[in-house]
Amino acid sequence: MSDCQRTRDQLLDVVRGRLAEPQRTQMTAHLQTCADCRRLVERERALERALELRPRFPLPERLRETLTATMTGAKVESGTRRPRPRLARWAAVVVPSLAAALLAVMLVRGPAGSRQPLVDEAINDHLRVLYAQHPIEIESGGIHQVKPWFAGKLDFAPVLQFSGDEEFPLQGGAIAVFVDRKAATFVFKHRLHLASLFVFRGQDLSFPSRTDRPIGGPSATSAASRGFNVLLWRDHDLGYALVSDMDPNSLARLAEKLAAP
Amino acid sequence: MHWYAQGMPREPSRSEPPFAALLLEQASALYNFARYLCRDPAEAEDLVQDAFARALNAQGSFVIGSNLRAWLFRILRNTFLDAKRRQRKQPLSDHEQDELEATSGDAWLRGDIEIDRLRAFVARDIEAALNRLSDDARAVILLDLEGFTETEIANVMDTAVGTVKSRLARARALLRLELKEYAK
Repeated sequence: MSDCQRTRDQLLDVVRGRLAEPQRTQMTAHLQTCADCRRLVERERALERALELRPRFPLPERLRETLTATMTGAKVESGTRRPRPRLARWAAVVVPSLAAALLAVMLVRGPAGSRQPLVDEAINDHLRVLYAQHPIEIESGGIHQVKPWFAGKLDFAPVLQFSGDEEFPLQGGAIAVFVDRKAATFVFKHRLHLASLFVFRGQDLSFPSRTDRPIGGPSATSAASRGFNVLLWRDHDLGYALVSDMDPNSLARLAEKLAAP
Repeated sequence: MHWYAQGMPREPSRSEPPFAALLLEQASALYNFARYLCRDPAEAEDLVQDAFARALNAQGSFVIGSNLRAWLFRILRNTFLDAKRRQRKQPLSDHEQDELEATSGDAWLRGDIEIDRLRAFVARDIEAALNRLSDDARAVILLDLEGFTETEIANVMDTAVGTVKSRLARARALLRLELKEYAK
């Protein structure tokens, strides 16, 4: 290999001072005698300096909050998790059961501590959709295949007319548990955002009395928490909770389509 | 064709705090890389969120002691490529492929730019020139600027080390050509 070819092959190493001895001395000697290679190195250095001027894009604060929320509330299936101490294992079994029972009582009888328990429940259920290993398997192309799938799995028929469109394609369906009852889960997509719609029997649940977002037929209550936007509404006997990290206006547009008579 | 779903676990366990914290430490660098890959702030945010979701679910496949940063960048880039495939876009357009082929051999060494002009560029010029490169060319340049070694870049881009070396040289040559066009 000629010295010139070697210089071309090692251009970045030369510019960044990564050559070890004796290559460094040999390269220096060659550059002193070869104007073409000197020009190549100088050109590469100039590009390196220009690239240093490239913009650096800081992490948006909203995204940081969303990531932090999902990191601390996510379902993670891991093979590397360290075994827990005995007390912690016991607590891991008992505490969630107690917490679930307590939460069910709180949600059915009315809020005692949290100001928006249904919102929190909707977000937690949405996170389970996001981070379950295989929450949904999609092999279909329409609502008419989703709704029959729920037959026999629920004690009510989920009422939903919207079958997805180009803006909000339907991704799939699943069964979830919302507070203390089964819910039909429909997952829609908007660009790269997922939205979960939970449809459940609405009786005995303490829906917020204030509604602030007209969505066609019914009026919904909007809330934002942990980087997610939530819309809650009732229609006859059924309750609806729509959750996503998409922007509030897009989510309201989806809700209008879902709630359209 | 039919729908079916698997049961979703009711009680989410919290991720290991150290792992989650380590992931969050890389969020800024990942977002910066995503911004250049997507060339759009909203898409970059989506991409980072998707990549983090994948990383959490793939936590079990991460080998403790290996390079978490390279592992995360690889996940992010694969997420980006998957999204592009879903959008039925080719990772590299024919035009871009032709452009890369045209700079094979020694041709790229002869494509020159006046060094003084290069010094006169400002940040937005560099960003614009980077954005005109193919996804692969932009990625290899930025990974190199992130301080990854050629071996690590090969791992992130799922290719051979020798390929990284030649791709990087060609990508930088293409960038020089783009800047040359920009300076006209």
